[in-house]
Amino acid sequence: MDVKKAQTKAFSNLIASLVLIAFETWAWVQSGKIKVAKNAAVQPSTFPRIMIIGMAVFTAVLLIQSIIKLAAMKPDDPLARRAETLDPFRDKGVAAALFVILLCCAYVWLFKGLGYVVVSFLLSGIIMWLIGLRKPAPLLLISALVPLGMWLVFYKFLSVNIPMGVLQFLRDLVDKL
Amino acid sequence: MDWNLLFSSYANVFLNPTVLLMTLLGAVGGVLLGAIPGMTATMGVALLIPFSFGMDLIPSVGLLLGIYCGGMYGGSISAILIHAPGTPSAAATLLDGYPMAQKGEAGKALSVAMFSSFCGGVIGALIMTFLSPLVAKVAMKFTSAEMLMLAVFGLSVIISISGKSISKGLISAFFGMLLCTIGLDPTYSKQRFTFGVTSLKGGLSFIPVLIGLFAVAEVIAGVERIIAGRESAQAKSTEKITRVLPDGKTIGQIWPNIISGGIIGTFIGAIPGAGGDIAVFVSYAFNKGASKHPEKWGTGIPNGVAATESANNGCSGGAMIPLLSLGVPGDSVTAILLGAFIMKGIQPGPMMYVSELPTVYKVFAALMLANLAMLLVGCAGVRVFAKIVSLEKRMLYPIILVVSLLGAFSINKNVFDIGVCVFFGVIGWLMNKYEFPLSPILLALILGPMCEQNFVRFMDLNQGDFSTILHYPIAVGFFVVAVGVVIFSLINQKKINRREAEAVSQPQE
Repeated sequence: MDVKKAQTKAFSNLIASLVLIAFETWAWVQSGKIKVAKNAAVQPSTFPRIMIIGMAVFTAVLLIQSIIKLAAMKPDDPLARRAETLDPFRDKGVAAALFVILLCCAYVWLFKGLGYVVVSFLLSGIIMWLIGLRKPAPLLLISALVPLGMWLVFYKFLSVNIPMGVLQFLRDLVDKL
Repeated sequence: MDWNLLFSSYANVFLNPTVLLMTLLGAVGGVLLGAIPGMTATMGVALLIPFSFGMDLIPSVGLLLGIYCGGMYGGSISAILIHAPGTPSAAATLLDGYPMAQKGEAGKALSVAMFSSFCGGVIGALIMTFLSPLVAKVAMKFTSAEMLMLAVFGLSVIISISGKSISKGLISAFFGMLLCTIGLDPTYSKQRFTFGVTSLKGGLSFIPVLIGLFAVAEVIAGVERIIAGRESAQAKSTEKITRVLPDGKTIGQIWPNIISGGIIGTFIGAIPGAGGDIAVFVSYAFNKGASKHPEKWGTGIPNGVAATESANNGCSGGAMIPLLSLGVPGDSVTAILLGAFIMKGIQPGPMMYVSELPTVYKVFAALMLANLAMLLVGCAGVRVFAKIVSLEKRMLYPIILVVSLLGAFSINKNVFDIGVCVFFGVIGWLMNKYEFPLSPILLALILGPMCEQNFVRFMDLNQGDFSTILHYPIAVGFFVVAVGVVIFSLINQKKINRREAEAVSQPQE
């Protein structure tokens, strides 16, 4: 087996179960902070706690399965295959994915201020450029026309008011027309 | 049954140009609305109801039913093409529909979805015509005990949609159920996991979570694959669509799935509070379990699309049953339809079958017509819709992202929902990467609130004594069936794992 144990799917399952146990512990502590209802047969915290227990039981199963697999790993076992990485320095695909996530966070932050059309233009333009569309004409046209078209459909036909930010004048223009 | 009146009512509807036009317009609007992620059939009906004010009852019902049936099919278009179900009822369609599109069979998947939707709708309309008083009687006996066990029964299909690792599937399901508890608790209004965030008090909106888990996660993964060189940025579908309806061979393969899906959809649709979103998963699990090759389900086979699409359109007929027979809407769309009936001075309920029988039959006919209109619109649109996947991936992914994020916003017109959508996009990307199935979360999000509300109501009514559930035979029946489904799914999953292991070892031999 040329894949080190720490790079196998079984090991990634082990790490995932440890992360899940940490999450379940945190969720259990948080569920303790839910206020108690008087004279209630079922407390507001009961159902979430049942779910946390259910999650914990199957996390334990996953943990035990991965420990057993790691202890006696056969080369042809599907779990002996190389797991996906989250290291942006080892895999440029992961770095690009993390960059897109960062862009999406900026999108949420700027959505109200700049408006849907402008932030969508920036987001789609940057992603298109990132994944290889370098011709300016299609890049700019698609990035601008798709959000603009969607805004028109939602605003004019579906009566959904979408923030336009710096392009507020477009709404006034459409209203006048 | 008064056959003469039934036939004359059908003729009255099918030969009325205004009804035909309104139903067709409704179907066009429904398909287009359903195809936009975040826009549901309910929203479409709610948006167009003011336009029906000035019309007679039957044209307005035709318009609304056209939107309803069109929206049910429309949701599958984006599920198949961009991995973002347009409506919650199309959530299970992506299990096989999207892999079909990835294999270059988007046109075939769309035509199977359309044909199955039509057949499911017709099955629903037929059952509604002949069995509505009977089905309504059974469905209305449901108390919190039966509803709780119905939710448990729905959850029992999780194993069959969990993929290779059942423990990972169940972790996903419990995680989804935990997500449902965010916000004010439904009985005592105590805050749970809100951390002082006002937008969380109402809980997580289903649509932004759905769009995030599937569409946004797919875009992030797609960019990752392109940059890592595992997918070509110029990749696009080159499928040539020669026919808009499935060929005879495909219909021969999928007809059992269509019939069973239509029947399952109609009966689940007839239960108030249980709609297409539950029916599609139950139908998928049932058909997968009954299949000779369950290992092929989820890899992109038309049977998976047929089973789910016939079930969600079957629901449209089912949901009309309690509306007409008892005046109780089966789902949110029929609740709006109830309002339309009342506005026209007609009170749906048992008396409607006595005093307004011709109207009842005309509604049956309008539903049948709405399904036909949906088929026509679908046939006209398959080639146009399939063009979406003929775009290069480097153009398609950014477009999917900005359309999806807008869909997330449009539900509550709240920027917070875009944040929720992005957050669940990241969760979905990570879960996909480490092989945690996403579909159980979806099912849990649908059934979680129903499960909790009925659990709390049942326990309150029975002073906390859960054993009294044994006094409810229908509930016990659901529980027994749920246990049977779990056992059957476990056996089935073993069969799938064995066949896959054989398939891997064969080339080496």
